[in-house]
Amino acid sequence: MNAAATPDLVKRLSRRSWVALLVLLAGCAGPKADEFDLAAAPWADIEAAARGQTVNLVMWTGDPYINAYVRGYVAPEVRDRYGVTLNVSSGQGNQLVSMLMTEQEAGKPVSEFDMMWINGETFYQLRQIDALFGPFTDHLPNARYIDFENPFIGIDFQQRVDGYEMPWGNVQFILIYDGARVSEPPRDREALAAWVKAHPGRFTFDTSFAGMTFLKTLLIDFAGGPEALAGPFDAARYEPVAAKLWAYVNAIKPYFWKSGETFPSGVAQLHRLFTSGEIDFTMSNNDGEVDNKVLQGLFPETTRAYVPDFGSIQNSHYMGIVKTAPHKAGALVVCNFLISPEAQLRKLDPQVWGDGTVLDVDRLPPEWQERFRHAPPRRFAPRRADIEGRALQELAPEYMIRLYEDFRTEVIEKR
Amino acid sequence: MIRSRHNSSGAFGMALFALIALLPIGFSLGYAAAYSVGLAGLLSEGFTLEHWARLFSDGEVGRAFGLSLYVAAVTVALSVSLALALLLFLRRPLKEGPLSYVIYFPLAIPATVAAFLVFQLFSGAGYAARWLLHFGVIDDVAQMPNLVNDPYAFGIILAHVSLATPFFILLFAQLYETEKVEALAETARTLGASRRACLYRVAVPILLTRSFTNVILLFIFVFGSYEIPLLLGRQSPQMVSVLTMRKYAMFDLTQKPEAFIVAWLYTALVLALIGWAFRSGRAGGRV
Repeated sequence: MNAAATPDLVKRLSRRSWVALLVLLAGCAGPKADEFDLAAAPWADIEAAARGQTVNLVMWTGDPYINAYVRGYVAPEVRDRYGVTLNVSSGQGNQLVSMLMTEQEAGKPVSEFDMMWINGETFYQLRQIDALFGPFTDHLPNARYIDFENPFIGIDFQQRVDGYEMPWGNVQFILIYDGARVSEPPRDREALAAWVKAHPGRFTFDTSFAGMTFLKTLLIDFAGGPEALAGPFDAARYEPVAAKLWAYVNAIKPYFWKSGETFPSGVAQLHRLFTSGEIDFTMSNNDGEVDNKVLQGLFPETTRAYVPDFGSIQNSHYMGIVKTAPHKAGALVVCNFLISPEAQLRKLDPQVWGDGTVLDVDRLPPEWQERFRHAPPRRFAPRRADIEGRALQELAPEYMIRLYEDFRTEVIEKR
Repeated sequence: MIRSRHNSSGAFGMALFALIALLPIGFSLGYAAAYSVGLAGLLSEGFTLEHWARLFSDGEVGRAFGLSLYVAAVTVALSVSLALALLLFLRRPLKEGPLSYVIYFPLAIPATVAAFLVFQLFSGAGYAARWLLHFGVIDDVAQMPNLVNDPYAFGIILAHVSLATPFFILLFAQLYETEKVEALAETARTLGASRRACLYRVAVPILLTRSFTNVILLFIFVFGSYEIPLLLGRQSPQMVSVLTMRKYAMFDLTQKPEAFIVAWLYTALVLALIGWAFRSGRAGGRV
């Protein structure tokens, strides 16, 4: 390199490029966050501030019914009523956490996102990295219809929500089978093991959330019931119970789909195996999903769902607002609409989504109580009232962390 | 004056190259290294080698690199052999007729689509199983051998080979013309070489030598591929990119530094491979 050329280059760079670089950096700063005190503002002020805002919602977009509900109903309603534009982008759980973690690590003062659809494990992670705005649920006028003392709503993975996420829907885990292929599904874990052995290659579960929730239910059963593992994570209580669980799973693993050498990576793949006839069972965290999938034409009309005698996890899913969200007022308005009786009732309909409500029906005005009590019933899954008695509360998040990790080392990698 | 202008534009080019190519890579490697020893990251608690120790304690990373090397090597060997065979034995159909353009269709297919097609064809209830069932070759779809999510990565390799082979046919066809392979083979024949010797001692060595860098680049591409092994691979072992993303976006946030270690090892290996390939390529006049 010519030494004399270097200062010349720097000079030229300093004349032309620095200006361009500064313009570029200024452009990267993005929108400014709401600049008034949301905690102290009356609701009318929040609605006024929200008008004209574009709220970026990140959510799982894998179900056409859910997408249609959000894009085809919620978005037009909040635009017409409150002047808020709802922009939906795809992303879920761990991706969301990674994105927000990266934003924080890069020192980005204002996020690209405003609100997101989360469940317990994501809530735990987002609280861990302090990425959630709150407490905010008390500000929402419609929150008066929610009973936060209900442990299936006010406690998420053994962690109190404390106003940092807004309950949106409530679901219970179910096992799904085709009544035309399976006449009597197994009701307890011995019967399940016997069924799997008698029908090699016809059963499996996914390595994602649904499958791990199923394992968690078995873990609770091995522990002797819901109280045995309640409270904070306790390795001394977990390890002996987990050892029994892995012994149980490994004993029937050779009879799983593909001899247990591999597992579907997500519940969508599990559903696909079920619909193509490769396996006889699938599962869902949402007890309303069977009706929804039959109506979509994905599951046959002979599909049925049940909760085994050892129970199943019931939990809620939530909406969170990003701590550095640029449009918090808009996000609050959208949240409030999502828990309005109208939006919740619509969501309950299996032809729309089939998602359980988080509202305490007894707290609603009488005309809405009537409408909720006469909501369209399910046709293919048991009524919530019939399975609620076997509902189990979520365990502390560390149990899920260990299950993910130990399932890999104790089952998948065990030859 | 002209020389000075030439030098300054050369210096500007170097500076631009450093700014655009070297600086981000250098910074990323530095950041990944810092993250892996707890010197960066939201949840870091100061310097530690615990993440390195934990990553290497269970052998998962070794198996991931082993699988990636195996898939890349087999894919390269199969694609190159297939492309050579097709070019040398189907010279005329590849020049004219429907095969001359049909063979290049896979070049327009994105990796995700190729993976999906392999899945549709060879999964347990895929078309292959249904056809075999229909023609009575198997009695039940469960008898269909594991060709997707399988222990030998058949599905992954098939998807990669179907994408890479047309590219090599195109490359070899061009080299065949530019390197005047036909004329050299003719000369060899007039000097008494057999057809077989012309093929294996003239045509194949020329084509392989001239395409050496591209072969290495394909190896690196397959080694670091993500979508195809994500869709067609197994949960264990996983290929390097899939393992990295899993560790990066795990439920357990404390494992994120391990993702940076895997990414760091991968980058170091690839850079070494590129350095070696270009140096030996240049030494042999193949770049």
